[in-house]
Amino acid sequence: MQKFIPSLLVAAISVSLSACMQSEKQDEKVVFNKNPYPSTYQAIPSKTVLIKNATVLTGAGERIDNADVLMSNGKIEQVGNGLSADNAIEVDGSGKWVTPGVIDVHSHLGVYPSPSAESHSDGNEATQPNTSEVWAEHSVWPQDPGFQAARAGGITTLQILPGSANLFGGRGVTLRNVPSHTMQGMKFPEAPYGLKMACGENPKRVYGSRKVSPATRMGNMAGYRMAWSEATEYKRAWDKYEADYAAGKNPEAPTRDIELDTLKGVLDGDILIHNHCYKAEEMAMMIDLGKEFNYHSGTFHHAIEAYKIADLLAENGNCAAMWPDWWGFKMEAYDMVQENVAIVDAKANSCAIVHSDSGTTIQRLNQEAGKVMYRANENGFDIKPEHAITWITLNSAKSLGIADKTGSLEKGKNADVVLWNQNPFSVYAQAEQVFVDGAKVYDRFDEKYQAKSDFMLGQK
Amino acid sequence: MKLFKSSLIALALASASSVYAESIAITNATVHTVTEQGTLTNATVVMDNGVITAINPKTVEADSTIDAMGKILTPGLIGSMNSLGLVEVSAVSRTRDASDKKADITFDASTAFNPKSAAIAYSRKGGITSNIVTPSGGESMFKGQAFIADLSGEYDSIVETNTAVLLNIGSKSKGSRALALQDLRHKLEDAKTALAKAESAAKEDKKKDAKEPKRDEKIINAILAGEKPLVAKADRATDILALLKLKQDFDLDLVIADAGDAVSVAAQIAEAKVPVIIATIDNLPSFDALHQSLKSATVLMDAGVTVAFKVNGDTHNLYQLRYDAGVAIANGVSKEQALAAVTANVADAFNYDAGRIAVGKKADLVLWSADPFELSSRVEKMWIDGVEHNTQSRHDALRDRYTTDSSMPRAYTK
Repeated sequence: MQKFIPSLLVAAISVSLSACMQSEKQDEKVVFNKNPYPSTYQAIPSKTVLIKNATVLTGAGERIDNADVLMSNGKIEQVGNGLSADNAIEVDGSGKWVTPGVIDVHSHLGVYPSPSAESHSDGNEATQPNTSEVWAEHSVWPQDPGFQAARAGGITTLQILPGSANLFGGRGVTLRNVPSHTMQGMKFPEAPYGLKMACGENPKRVYGSRKVSPATRMGNMAGYRMAWSEATEYKRAWDKYEADYAAGKNPEAPTRDIELDTLKGVLDGDILIHNHCYKAEEMAMMIDLGKEFNYHSGTFHHAIEAYKIADLLAENGNCAAMWPDWWGFKMEAYDMVQENVAIVDAKANSCAIVHSDSGTTIQRLNQEAGKVMYRANENGFDIKPEHAITWITLNSAKSLGIADKTGSLEKGKNADVVLWNQNPFSVYAQAEQVFVDGAKVYDRFDEKYQAKSDFMLGQK
Repeated sequence: MKLFKSSLIALALASASSVYAESIAITNATVHTVTEQGTLTNATVVMDNGVITAINPKTVEADSTIDAMGKILTPGLIGSMNSLGLVEVSAVSRTRDASDKKADITFDASTAFNPKSAAIAYSRKGGITSNIVTPSGGESMFKGQAFIADLSGEYDSIVETNTAVLLNIGSKSKGSRALALQDLRHKLEDAKTALAKAESAAKEDKKKDAKEPKRDEKIINAILAGEKPLVAKADRATDILALLKLKQDFDLDLVIADAGDAVSVAAQIAEAKVPVIIATIDNLPSFDALHQSLKSATVLMDAGVTVAFKVNGDTHNLYQLRYDAGVAIANGVSKEQALAAVTANVADAFNYDAGRIAVGKKADLVLWSADPFELSSRVEKMWIDGVEHNTQSRHDALRDRYTTDSSMPRAYTK
C-alpha cells in the first residue's frame, strides 16, 4: 500500500509535465492523503435470500403488499410479486413487514458508550470552540454494547458525531452497524465525512462560563465567521499552489493545518455539514452563513423549531433531523410540536428525518417515526407508512451522502434490510431479522446471530 | 385582606361545586377495572362528586351520559419518580425547584409545585391523571419527601404531601457506596434505641425528661413505624439485597426504584414482597446494572415481584409512560399486567388510594380511542376527580399557528 502512493505521485507529476511542457524544475508535489484511516469493512459472507409474501415499504415511497424481496451478492436484486430464485434461502414473510435498514444520522454510540464512564467519555473535545481538527472516529469504542442493541432495533447504518460543546465539534463518521473490534472495520466505505457544528446554548454556555468567547449567540456567529474566513484563505492558498504547480511553476506549498483541512474539505464540497441547531432564527442565519462562505449549510440536527421555517429549509435544500417529542430540557427545546417532522416534510423538495441522539431511542427509531405519523394524521395530515419510513431510511441516507448506496430497496443498492414481525409503526413491532449487505447480522430467534460485545462477555 | 381572601375561597368553592355537581355516566364501555373484576364489556361507570359511585347500576341516573361505543376505559395512568410541576425548563435554573444543596430528609417540595407548568397539560396527552412527584434533593442520601399531585392544572392539585421518604443508594463518583448503607443502618438503629429509651422512660413516668424528637428524627420514626414507605433508588444486586436486609431487620415499608439489576435477585425481592419501580426501556448496561434488558419487567413479574413502571428523565417525557408499557408488552408482559404497572401498582407502592375502577374510588378515568398502549391511539376523554379535562397544551397552539395560512405575520395567529 505504501508503494502505491508515491507511484501515483510520479504519475501525477509526469502528466502535469507533459501537459504543460514547462522547463522550470519542480519539487515533488505536496499531496495529502485524504483517507488516512481507511475502511477495512468487509461484508459478512452472504447467501441469496428471498423474503416471500411480506408487506414491503421500499423506502422510496412505495408500499407493495404480498411482495417478495430478493437479495443476492449483497445487493437488492429485485422487489416485486411472485419472485423466485434458484438456491435462495426462502424466508416466510407472511404477516410481516420489510423495510430498508434503518439509518440514524445522529448517534454518539462508541464515543459516549455504555457503561457510562469518565474513561470512555470521548465525545466532546471541549477545550476550545473550534476543534475541526478532531475526528469522532478516533474516539469510537467499537465494543459499546449499544451497537448490538441498536442492531436489534433494525439500525444498519449510523453517523457517529462529536458532541455539541464547540462551534465546530470535529468530523463525524458514518459506520455500518456490524460487529468489529476496530473502528475501521465498521467504517462505511466511501461515505463522506461530516462536520459537526453547533448553534445556540451549548457552545456559549461551555465557553461563556470560562469567560472566553463565545459567551453569546452573536459570539457564536462571530466564531463561525472568523473560522470560515480563515478557511477561505487557506483554501485559496492551496488552490493557488495547485494551479501554479499545474502551470509548471515550482511554488512553495502552504503549511498544512489539520484544523483547516476539515473546513477546506467543506468548502471543497467533500465534507457535509451536520449542524446541531434548534431554533428557527438561528437556522435561518446558518443558511445565510453557508452562502456567505460558499458552502452548503447541510443538515440541521435537533431542529425543534424547523416547523417555523419549513419553506426556507425546502427552498435551500436543507435536511432537518428531528425528534418526535423531546422537549423542555433547555430553553431552545421549549417550542416543540409533535408534528414538527410532518410540517417540514409537507413542503416540496423537503428532507425530513427522524433521529435519535440516544442509545435508547435508536433502538426504536421506527416507533419514533410512527409517533409523528399518528399525531400528524390526527391533525389534518394524511401520511402513509410508505412515506413515514423515508424519514428513517432514504432521507437519512441523503443527509449522509450515501443515498446511491443504501436507504431504499431498489435494485443494485446494498441489501440492507429489516424483517419486522408486523407494521413497524406499532409499539409492539420488533425486528426479527436484520441484513447488512445481504448478510444476516441479527436474528431475534437465533442466538447464533446475536452478537455480544467484549465488554459483556463473561460478565456475571 | 382577610375579606378578600375568604371571598376568593368562596369563589373557588363555588366554581368547584358547580363542576362537581354534575354526575356523569359512561355507558357501553370496555372497562379495564384493574381489580379482581377484570375487564367488563358493555359496562357503565357512574361518577359523582369526584368518586366512582356505581358500576353497572340497574338504572342509570346521571346528569349527563356518554356513550363510549365500546371503547376502552381505564383508570387514569399514574406517573412517579419525576419532577413534574417542579421543573419547567431543565436547563433554566430559575425554573427548577426539585433540588437544593441543603435539602435533607425533611425537604417538602410540594409548596413549589406549579400546576400551570406546560409539562402538566402536555402529560395529560398520555392519559396521566396524577403523579407522585419526587424531588431530587441535595447532598444528603435522603432526597426529601415525595408528594402526590393530580394533573388538573388547578391550584388545588396537591392530593397529599409527605407521602414517602426518598433515598439514593449505589455508585458514587466520590467515596464509597458502603458509607450510605452504613449511615442508613446507624440512623435506623439509633432511632430504634431512642424510641425504646423513650418508651421505658414513659413507663417509669419520667415524661419530663423525654425530649421531643427533632423533625428529621420524627421522619425516621415514621419509617420505623411503617407509617410511610421508604423509596430507595438502587441498581446493583448487592445494594438491593442490603436494602432487603434492612427491611427485614427494621420492618420497613420498602420500595425499590430503578432496580437495574433486580433481575439478578428477583426471587429474593418477590419473597420480601417489595415492589419495584422500573423504566421498561432501560436496557443498556452500567456497572451497577449489567443485566437489565427489555425483558426485565417480564422476568420480575414472572418471579412474582410487583412491578410499577416509570419514565426516566426529568419530567417532560412523562406522557410516554403508556408507550414504555407497550414496549414491555412487546417483550412478554401481558396487557393486564402492563396496565396495573402504570396504575394500581404505582398507587399501591405509595399507599395512594387510586388506580382502580371500583365504587368509592377516585374518579380518575381515561377513555381511549383504541388500545391505550399503541402509538396510534389517543386520549378521547379524561376525567380527574370526576371533572373532564382536555389534553390541549401550548404545543397544539404552536402547531396551529404555523399550519394556519395567513397574510399577516404568524404572531397575529392566536
